Amino acid sequence: MNLEAFENRVLPSKNKLFRFALRLLNNAEEAEDVVQEVLIKVWNGRAAMDQINNWEAWCMRLTKNLSLDRLRAQKRKATDSIEVGFEVKQEGLSPHEKAEITESMQQVNKLIASLPEKQRQVMHLRDVEGYSYNEIVEIMEIDMNQVKVSLFRARSAVREKLIKINAYGL
Amino acid sequence: MDSKIEQLLEKYWKCETSLEEEKELKDYFNGNDVPEDLKETAILFKYFAEQKKLGVSKIDFDKTVRAKAVPVEKGRVIRMIFTTAKIAAGVLVLVAAAYLVRQEIRKSYPEEVVDTYSDPQLAFEETKKALMMISKTFGKAKQEAGKITVFNEAEEIIQKGVAKDDDEKIEI
Repeated sequence: MNLEAFENRVLPSKNKLFRFALRLLNNAEEAEDVVQEVLIKVWNGRAAMDQINNWEAWCMRLTKNLSLDRLRAQKRKATDSIEVGFEVKQEGLSPHEKAEITESMQQVNKLIASLPEKQRQVMHLRDVEGYSYNEIVEIMEIDMNQVKVSLFRARSAVREKLIKINAYGL
Repeated sequence: MDSKIEQLLEKYWKCETSLEEEKELKDYFNGNDVPEDLKETAILFKYFAEQKKLGVSKIDFDKTVRAKAVPVEKGRVIRMIFTTAKIAAGVLVLVAAAYLVRQEIRKSYPEEVVDTYSDPQLAFEETKKALMMISKTFGKAKQEAGKITVFNEAEEIIQKGVAKDDDEKIEI
């Protein structure tokens, strides 16, 4: 891989990698650090990259591993610090409605952050990034059945909690 | 439309939807005409869409990555320059050494050896003088060497004497 291929193919995936790292770490600064580390690792190991056909999945996997390493090193749970801000850019809403949406989004964020690690990752990869099951298998290094079970559990848990929120109000 | 969405949603919760169907749900819930009873579900899909908008926020992120990643390439060039410089330095040392040694060798020879006469006549005279000197010295040496014959004469006399003695002994 030359510098051009790196700039055109690897570097543009930084946001995807960042979102995945953020999902795991729940800290924007650390997530950026991880992505930077991933990209530099990819560049330094570019000689071996030619044999990898799905380098994006490979980068995602590296992001996952480095993020989990960090969590382990700090011996903390990802849910300890949640500091994701939301800005709703929907047109035609009153400030009150916007505030309401922002609040419920934060609620959803907390809800997903409280899911077990594997479920959280699978849900992110499928519902936010739109990866196929096969790609998720490759990124997560788990089998198809585990992917499906994790996603099913994640969606069920989220649905259940959403119903609760709906029933008792925000 | 709504009944179709409800059906898709049921499939979604059961994890039976395809990526295309999930995209359809996302598009629907990110529109503005979502019925009240699906508002909470809409929030979830809006959340997914909002999440996808997130990205690296540091302005100099790419620059930092390039600065950290590219030096590998630069390092290669620098290493090449260093290697070339090392070879050049080695060659330079050899050339300098050869030059100095040559100079030393030149210095060790007496200057007379070097051709100094521009006038052939003068050179001839000098050569003649030098040769005459050598010839004179040789002549002297020959004269001196002639004295060595004294030893020969002495040896002859001694040998004759010895022979005579032997004869006398036999006669006794």
